[in-house]
Amino acid sequence: ASQHRIFSFFNEKHLVLLRDGRTLIGFLRSIDQFANLVLHQTVERIHVGKKYGDIPRGIFVVRGENVVLLGEIDLEKESDTPLQQVSIEEILEEQRVEQQTRLEAEKLKVQALKDRGLSLPRADTLDEY
Amino acid sequence: MPCLNWRKENTPQRPKERRQCTHRESLAQFLAHNTVLSAGGTKMKTTHLCSQVGVTNTETELQLSVLLDQFSITAAKKVYLLEADTALSPEETAMEGVGQPAKMKCLEGPHLNQGPAKSCGSLAPEKELVSASQLEEEEENEGEEDLDPDPDLAPGPEEEEEEEDEKDLGDPAVLSAVHNTQRGGLSSPGIKIPDVLGMSPTSLHFLWQTLDYLSPVLFRPKFPSANSPACHFGHQLLLPDPSLFCSLPTSWPPKFSLPSHLTQLHPQHQRLLQLQQHSRMQSPPAKKPWSQQPDPYANLMTRKEKDWVIKVQMVQLQSENPRLDDYYYQKYYQKLEKKQADDELLGRKNKVESLKLVTPYIQKAEAYESVVRIEGSLGQVAVSTCFSPRRAIDAVPHGTQEQEAGAASSQRLRVLHHIEKMFLQLLEIEEGQKDGPPQPCYSEQQSKQVEKLFLALKTQEQNNLEEAADGFLQVLSVRKGKALVARMLPFLPQNQAVSLLLAITHHLPLLVRRDVADQALQMLFKPLGRCISHLTFHELLQGLQGLTLLAPGSSERPVTVVLQNQFGISLLYALLSHGEQLVSLDSSLEKSNSDYTTWTDMVVLIAWEIAQMPTASLAEPLTFPSNLLPLFCHHVDKQLVQQLEARMELAWIY
Repeated sequence: ASQHRIFSFFNEKHLVLLRDGRTLIGFLRSIDQFANLVLHQTVERIHVGKKYGDIPRGIFVVRGENVVLLGEIDLEKESDTPLQQVSIEEILEEQRVEQQTRLEAEKLKVQALKDRGLSLPRADTLDEY
Repeated sequence: MPCLNWRKENTPQRPKERRQCTHRESLAQFLAHNTVLSAGGTKMKTTHLCSQVGVTNTETELQLSVLLDQFSITAAKKVYLLEADTALSPEETAMEGVGQPAKMKCLEGPHLNQGPAKSCGSLAPEKELVSASQLEEEEENEGEEDLDPDPDLAPGPEEEEEEEDEKDLGDPAVLSAVHNTQRGGLSSPGIKIPDVLGMSPTSLHFLWQTLDYLSPVLFRPKFPSANSPACHFGHQLLLPDPSLFCSLPTSWPPKFSLPSHLTQLHPQHQRLLQLQQHSRMQSPPAKKPWSQQPDPYANLMTRKEKDWVIKVQMVQLQSENPRLDDYYYQKYYQKLEKKQADDELLGRKNKVESLKLVTPYIQKAEAYESVVRIEGSLGQVAVSTCFSPRRAIDAVPHGTQEQEAGAASSQRLRVLHHIEKMFLQLLEIEEGQKDGPPQPCYSEQQSKQVEKLFLALKTQEQNNLEEAADGFLQVLSVRKGKALVARMLPFLPQNQAVSLLLAITHHLPLLVRRDVADQALQMLFKPLGRCISHLTFHELLQGLQGLTLLAPGSSERPVTVVLQNQFGISLLYALLSHGEQLVSLDSSLEKSNSDYTTWTDMVVLIAWEIAQMPTASLAEPLTFPSNLLPLFCHHVDKQLVQQLEARMELAWIY
C-alpha cells in the first residue's frame, strides 16, 4: 500500500524528456514495465533561450527506451516561470535560427579539423540531443 | 466464421466485465486477453507498437498500416492503448455512417498493401469489440442525445445478415451504406477499395481515432466525402458532427485546408464546421488544454495493473546484498532518515515518512540454463531472460597479466591499480562497520582486514624500505589515494596511524608540492587531527623534527614551504598546539631535558620562520588553535611575539 504513494503520479501533469531532445507535457495515463507511456492532451514544448512555445499534439504513446526522464509538474510552481511563452510560429522560427547557427558553427569546426588532417566521427549513432 | 464466433463468445461476458463501462475499458480488456490475431502470425510486441507511434508525424498512412500490423498483441503484454480522448459516443458511431467511404478511401493506400486476409483477421475481433462496447456506451448515454439509436454497425459484409437478425439496433440505412461501399457503389470519385472488404467502418474509425493526433488535418476533412449515400440519412446523422468536433482534442488546428479533391461537404456540415472553427477561434488563446474539472480519465489503470507494473519493476531490483548492489540509494536514504531523526530531535514535527521503496520478497527463479536441450531435437536452444539477454558467447576475458617495463606511464597505472584494489578492501571494511562513525574495529575479522589493508598501503610489494615509503607517497600523490588514506585512518590502530602521520610529516614539502594541482590534502586534515590528539610527546617531536631539519643540499627548511600551504600550516599548528597541551598538562615533561630542549628549540625555530615569512604568503590554517600564542610567549622574546601576533592574527582574520 505504501508503494501507491510513490506511484501516485497517475493522472497528473507530467513532463517527459525524450532521447531526441523533445519535451512533452501531458497527463500520464498509463505505464508499463518498460516505461512505455501513454500521455494524454500532450503538448510539445520547444525551448529556445528564454522563450518557449507549445504545440498541442493530443495523445502520445511513447516507447520506454526513448524516455530520458519523467517528472511530475507542480501546478503551482508551473505558473511562476521566468520563461516567456510565445506563439508556435515564432518559436519554430527561433528554433530554426538556432539550428542554423549551430550547423554553421559545426561546419566551421569540421572544416578547421579537416584542414589539420583530423576528422570527427559521424554522430549517426549518438543521440541527437 | 471466426469473427462471428468470437462475437458470440464475447456478448455474454460483457455484463461481467462491465466495471467502468467505458469503451476504453473494454477495449483494453480486449487487448489484454486477445492472442495472436493476424493471419500472418506475427506476434508484435507492444513495445514495437509504441516505437512506431508517438515519434514522428510523417507518413500517417504508413503508420496506420503499421498499427494494423501491431494490433496482434500477445496476452502477456498489457499496454493500454488509448485512442483519442473523445468518448466513442453514439454520435460518432452515427458519424461513421457518413464517413465510412471517406475513411476507407484515405486508408486505401497503405492498407491495400496488406493482404486482405490479414486485415480481416486483425480487425475483425476489434471491430466486434468496438461494436459491442458501443452498445455499452449506448446504454450509458441514453439520455444525452435524442438521436436515433446507435446503429450497431455491421462488422462486415459477410455478417450483415446475421447482424440484422441479432441486433435490434441495426440501422438499415447504415448497413446499406456499408453495402454500397463494399460493393463499390459509390458516387464519390476515385475511390478504389477492392481489398478493404474486411474492414468495417467501426474498425476504421477506431484506427482513425488512435491516429488522431498524427494528422488531424489529413483525416477529418475527408469525412464528409461521398455524401450521396449519406445524404438520405437525413439530419439526424449529421447532427453528431458538432459534438464530435467538440470532443476532439485540442490538437485540432485552427486552420485546416480542405483537400481539393474532396470538396463536396454537405452544406450543413460545412456550416457546422465553420461554426466550430469560429467558436474555437474565439476561445481564449491562452486557455490551457487541461482544466481543473473532475478528470474523466482518472483510474484508467486499475490498482491491480499498477501493482503489477510495480511488482515487475521491484522484482528486478531485489538483490541479496542491497548495500552493495544499490549502494547510492541506500546511502541516500540513510542520510535522509538521519536528517529526519535529527529534525525530530530538534523538535520539528516530523510526520512525513520517507518513501523508501522496499522490494517485495519474491522468490527468484532458480538459476536457469541459458542453453536448453530439448529432447528429441538436434542442437540446443538458446534461452534468454531479463537477467542475461543473450549469452551466446563467453565474453569473459581469460588473458594473463602483461608484464611491462617500468615506463613512467605504466608506473602510474600500477599505482592507480593498486589504489583501486585498496579501495575495494576499504569499502569492504566500511560495509562491515555498518552504521555509525568509523572507529577502530572490534571484531577479529575486521581487524584482519584492516591489517591487510595497511600492509598493502605501506609495503606495496616493495622490498626496499625506501621504496616502500616512496610507494606510499605515490599513493598520496593521487587524489584518490588521499581519499583512501583519509577514510582508512579512523580504522587503524593508533600505532599504525601514527606511522602514517609521521611519514606524511616527514615528506610534507614533497606532498605539498605534488598537491598543487589537486588541492586535496585538506581531506586528510580531520583524520590526522584526531590522530594527533593521541600522540605522545616523543612521537610529536619526531613529527616536528622532519619539518625543521635542513634538507641536504638546500638552504631552505621544509617549514617555509609548509607554512605557505594551507594543509601544511594547519598540520603544523595542530602539532604545536598538541605539544603545548601536553606540556601544560604534564609538568614532568619539562624535566626530561633532551626532549624538552628539542621542543623549545623547535618552537623557537618555527616562530622565527613564521616571523620571517611575509604575511601575504602565509597560508590560512583550517583551524587556529587558541593556545599557540601563549606557547610562543613562553619561549620567545616579546618583540618576536608581537611580530608573530601581527602576522598570525592577520592571517587568522582573513
